[in-house]
Order: sequence, then C-alpha cells, then structure tokens
Amino acid sequence: MADKVICITSGKGGVGKSTITGNLATALASKGYKVVAIDADTGLRNLDLVLGLENRIVYDLVHVVEGVCPVEKALVKDKRTKNLFLLPAAQTKDKSAVKPEDLVEVVEKLRGKFDFVFIDSPAGIEEGFKTAVTPADTIIVVANPEMASVRDADRVTGLCEAMGKSEPKLIVNRLDWKKVAKGNMLDAEDVVQILGLELLGIVPEDKDMVSYINRGEPAVLFKDSIAGKAFRNIAERLLGREVPFIEPAKNEGIIEKLRKLLVGE
Amino acid sequence: MGFMDKVMGAFKKPSARDIARQRLQLILKYDRAGLPPNAIDEVKNAILNAIKDFPFVDASGVTINISPNGDNREKIEIEIPVR
Repeated sequence: MADKVICITSGKGGVGKSTITGNLATALASKGYKVVAIDADTGLRNLDLVLGLENRIVYDLVHVVEGVCPVEKALVKDKRTKNLFLLPAAQTKDKSAVKPEDLVEVVEKLRGKFDFVFIDSPAGIEEGFKTAVTPADTIIVVANPEMASVRDADRVTGLCEAMGKSEPKLIVNRLDWKKVAKGNMLDAEDVVQILGLELLGIVPEDKDMVSYINRGEPAVLFKDSIAGKAFRNIAERLLGREVPFIEPAKNEGIIEKLRKLLVGE
Repeated sequence: MGFMDKVMGAFKKPSARDIARQRLQLILKYDRAGLPPNAIDEVKNAILNAIKDFPFVDASGVTINISPNGDNREKIEIEIPVR
C-alpha cells in the first residue's frame, strides 16, 4: 500500500490533529488492519489522551531513539481496539530530541509490521514538524474553516512541497453547518478552493466531542456520533473506497425550497 | 451560482463568509509569493514613477497582479496600456 505512512499536520495548534489521528487509527484497526499511531509531538504528549492510554505508558519515542529500548517494547497496546498500538511522545524532552532521520529509522522498523503507520505532527513549522513529515508517504493537512487555520494550512502545504513531498490531502475539521448557512463561516468548499488541495474529508462540529475526549473514548467507535461517522468515512477513503462527503441534515427554509423548485440545485 | 442567488446577492451585503474568502485569497497570494502585503503597491508606484513621462503610456490604466507561475513560484504581472 502506497499510503501506508500517514502524517497528520496543520501548522496551527488546536485544530484537531491528535483527535483525527486517534480516530482514524482506531477506525482502521477496528476494521482489522494492524495500525500504529506515533505521537511525534515531543514535549506536548496528547494522543494518549484521545485513546485513553495515558496510564499505560512506560517507554516513549525518545527512549526508542536513544536506544533505551527497542521500538516494540515502547508500543502501548490499545485497550479497546485490537491491532492498534500507540508509540507515545516523550513528555519531558523538547522537539529537538527526535531528528527527521531518527523518526525515519523508527518508521522503517514499523513499516514491515503494520498496515498503517500514523504520525501525529506537532503544531508549528519548525523542526518537530519537519521530523513528523519526513517519513510520511501521505500527508494530511487539517484545517478548521477559520482564517488563521486556513492560512497556516497553506503555509504547511508549501513547506511540504518544498520538502519534495507529494501534495497533502485536506481534512476540514469542525465545520458548523449552521454558521455556514448564516453566512458566518467558510464552507468546506471555500477551504478546498482557497487551498487548492484534494479533499479527504469533512468532519462536522460535534458537541459531544469534548465528552469523548474527556472519557478517552474515540468518537469513531460510537455509531451515533456524527464526527465518528465522518472519521469512518475518511478511513474508508484511505482504503481507496469512494464515500460521499457528509452533508447537513436537510432542514431547508422556505426560500431555499422555493429556489430549488424554480432553478434546481 | 443560480439565478436566484445572483438576484438575492445583489441586495445583500457581503457575509462574514464572503469576506473571509476574499481576505484569505489575497493573504495567500502574498504568503505564497513570500511578499509583505504592501510589496505590490511599492512595485506599482516605482513602475508608475518610471513610466509617467512617456506620453504614449496610459499611467492611469496600469494594473499589477500576482499569480501562480507553475513550479511553485508566483509571478508579478504588470499591464501598461498604451494610449
């Protein structure tokens, strides 16, 4: 599979990289694929929280890089999903502790043993970002439909291209259809058009997300989670299947209905 | 865009969404070119200064634009109309 090593990045912080990494990894593992998720955000470990694995960490990525333990020993087995493993970030080191070539070496060891290797990139465009992106076959840029996030996503895209990477794919995260309908928020299609990237998925704003993360339970495991459904769809697309993009529940106003009646879609 | 959208759009002031889209398109042009936001105005002023004394040039019609040039680079396009 060409899209085996997938880095999730964004430039801006807080747009949902770790949540998306944890959920996509969980989605693919629950379909039977063997998946490892690497938290490359050294010093700001977070992916463990999304998966609820914070109490099970013994070794981390920096231990592996420093030769304290072999990579297999640092992998934390997920407690819910078979075939899913976490390689945690070190919490007490800084980003310079893992160089691009270090992560490439770790990923090469994992590549043969897993169907998918996810890398959760740190925010920013400095060394930590470069380290996270370097081993990737595929890069996913996450953007919220919001000024700073879209701008940073474009910056990161340019840097990826300058590094000789293939063009990133885009996930628009936290799209609020109500705000879009009121004309207050960029729509996913605006973000796609502005960034000029292939759209991999749209994740709608989901008020239950904070609760899933608080519980350490990936939303993707819950059938009634709308964000969870979006994550499952994205996982399908990573497997090369065509899945229509999620659309808002039809609840049109009378003008919209009239418009469609008069002029069609 | 459908007919009704156009009709309705003509009466509507731009939404926050429209403004965000326009602002981002402009911001990214400059970001991608690695230029400060007023760089183009400075280039334009310098060009205007350089050509203003040529009688066959219509200085008021000069347009300047940044657009992609392929190869991950941007180009500055200047159009100087002749009278």
